[in-house]
Parts: sequence; C-alpha cells; structure tokens
Amino acid sequence: MINGVGKILTGNSLSNITSNTNSQVMLETTLKAIGRPGFILIDNEISEDTKRYAAAKEFLYQATCLLVYAALVVPVFKHGAFKLAQKTFEKTDIGNFSSLKQYNHYLKLCDTTHTNRIQTLGKEIKGTSVVDETGNVRRQLVKDEYDASMLTELQKPDGNGGPNKFPVLKGAIELGNIIGSVFGLAVFAPQVSHAFIHPALRILGLEKKSDKSVQNNLDKTV
Amino acid sequence: MKADITTKLKNICKNLGENNKPTYVVMAIAAVKGICRPSFTMMDKKEDPKTKKYTAIREGLTELIAIPVYWALGELSAKAAQKHLPKDLQKKGAKNAMFLGVCTAALFVIPGLCSAVIKPIMGTFYHDGVPEKKKIKKLDVTSASEHIEIPARSAVVASTDVKRPNLQTFSSRPEFGMKVGGV
Repeated sequence: MINGVGKILTGNSLSNITSNTNSQVMLETTLKAIGRPGFILIDNEISEDTKRYAAAKEFLYQATCLLVYAALVVPVFKHGAFKLAQKTFEKTDIGNFSSLKQYNHYLKLCDTTHTNRIQTLGKEIKGTSVVDETGNVRRQLVKDEYDASMLTELQKPDGNGGPNKFPVLKGAIELGNIIGSVFGLAVFAPQVSHAFIHPALRILGLEKKSDKSVQNNLDKTV
Repeated sequence: MKADITTKLKNICKNLGENNKPTYVVMAIAAVKGICRPSFTMMDKKEDPKTKKYTAIREGLTELIAIPVYWALGELSAKAAQKHLPKDLQKKGAKNAMFLGVCTAALFVIPGLCSAVIKPIMGTFYHDGVPEKKKIKKLDVTSASEHIEIPARSAVVASTDVKRPNLQTFSSRPEFGMKVGGV
C-alpha cells in the first residue's frame, strides 16, 4: 500500500505537474469546477431549482476562470516574465536562451541522467538542416540549438549539483505565473464571467430574462 | 535605489526558483480573491444593500477559510510523505504530496468546510444583515379569522307552521290569476 502511494508520489507525471505553476493552477481550477457544484448539488437545505441554478453558475464561473487562465496568463505573463528577466538580470544568472521553449527543454534535460542528456543532444531534429563550419549541409542536431555555454552546462556530470538550472530565471517565470494567476483568476475572470454567465444560463434554460433579478437574489441568499 | 530593487527581486526570484511550493500560488490567489470578490460585490449598484453586504461577507469568509486550509493540508501532506518515503526521494515526494494536499483541499475540504461552517457563523454573528427570503403569499384563513367579527348566528328554529301547498288537492292551489272555465 505504502509502496504504491510512494510510487505515485515520486512519479514523473506528478513531478511534471508540480514543477509548473500553470499546470498546478489549471488542475486545481478543474477540480474546483467539479467539487464546488458537486457540494451545492448534495446540499439538502436548498430547493431543487436553486441547487441546479447555483451549481451551473459555479461550474460556468470556474470554466470561465480556466479559459481566461489559458488565454491570458500562459501566453502573456509567462512569456512577459521571461523577456523581462532577460532585460533585468545578468547573463550569468539567467543563462543564454533564445526562447522560453528552449529554457523549458533545457530544464527537462537537466532532470535526466548525464548519459540521457548526451544521447538527446546528439539526436537529429527531423525536417531541418544546417550548414556546418566546413560548409557542408547536414541534419540539424538538438545540440545545434543551444549556445556553447549552455552546452557546456548540459555536458557537466551529475555530481556536484549537475548543470546549472538558473534558478533566478526559473523563479522570475514562476513569479510571472503567480502574478498572472492572481490577476487572471481574482480580478479579470470575475469581470468576464459577469458578462458571460447570465447569457449562458439563459441558453441552458436555467434563467429567464424576467427572472434574472429574482434568481440573482435567490442565488446569493443561499 | 534601482540596484537595490533589482537585488531584492533577484533574491525573491532565486528563492522561488529553488523552492516554489504549490501552496504559494493558491494562497496568493485566495488572498487577492478574498479582497477583490467582496469589493466587486459591494460595487454592484443594482443589488439590494443588505444582500450585497451579506454576500460580500460570505465571499470574504470563504477565502478566509481557504487560506489556512490550503497551508495546513499542504504542509501536513508534505510532512507525512517525508516520514514514510526513503531519504533520497523525500524532497521530490514531499513537493508532490504537498500538491496533492492542495488538490484535496480544493476538491473536498474547503467546499465541505464552507457548507458546514459559514451558515452557522453568518447566523450567529450577522442577524441583521441576513436578507429576508421572499415570503410566499398565502391566504391565511385561520389566523386572519380571529380578527374578523362574525355576528352571532340566530338559532335556527324548526318551524312547524309552514303552510305547504298540497299538490294532490285542487283547493290548495293559490287562488289568484286568470281562471279559465270551470269552478
């Protein structure tokens, strides 16, 4: 039993989620979209109509949060934080990466063993070619995408801490994620949901146009 | 001055990059939601002031409950994982367990706790602000009838003197109107 739980706790799939604020927040919002309407539906003290209305409203609110998060926070704040970090901090702290995607790939390589890293760096990238120093055209390799200093880091053995993960850059991206999550979910999503939820409830047949104010009161008092 | 801010920001980023706990983001979101949601509710001009106040306090309380629950469940799960896992996997397992704790809090503990705790709290500390539910108008005959003065009924006396016409006899017919022929 404990071994099974231990395997889940130390598994790579869970680690991938916990190492990224985006996936954490998205998973948590999905759980809220299931849990909160569920608890409203099992409440016996509310009338059947109110329960359905409140549960649908809560579900739509969480769904709006998820959409806002995916549309706003990931592209704007994450990329914004990466670019801001490049302008603010020195290269020794944040390394030399051309894009956020490249840094994420670098982090993934850092988490593997030294042998795996070297193997991955030597792999060809399909459909791409480069002209090397001697003037010959050849397939592009994974290592061709990295700067020389970053390659040196990746080729370091695992002992003595292994390759530098550039925690300042990682932290800057996480800070951007946190600020974006807070702004997106606590400030922006309620405004969007306010405009979106009532028409959606009318389409679902849970709210009539004339009943809006009455239902609003009902929902809030429950 | 600028260098100071950059150094401070760098330290924050470094700490966050080295040790970003799953509880940080959820607690930050809950804290800002606890301030913003009630404020947005209070800014709604269309709503009844009593309902607004009640809803805003409810929303604030929900987030106020959420913050310590996220923290406590996250830390407890991490400590439990550290106790049971082998030393080399403790750090990785603790972080993952903390995230699972946060998920459990979001899915079960916070909604359950809010359903159980908020209603009694609001009932105990906030009598005046609870908006009255709209009463369904019913014709209340029993209570209203007490106030209506009903005149005392006169006793019905069964009369024996009533002259009922006998349809069998001719003479019992009323003797008025036109008579055609005969008697």
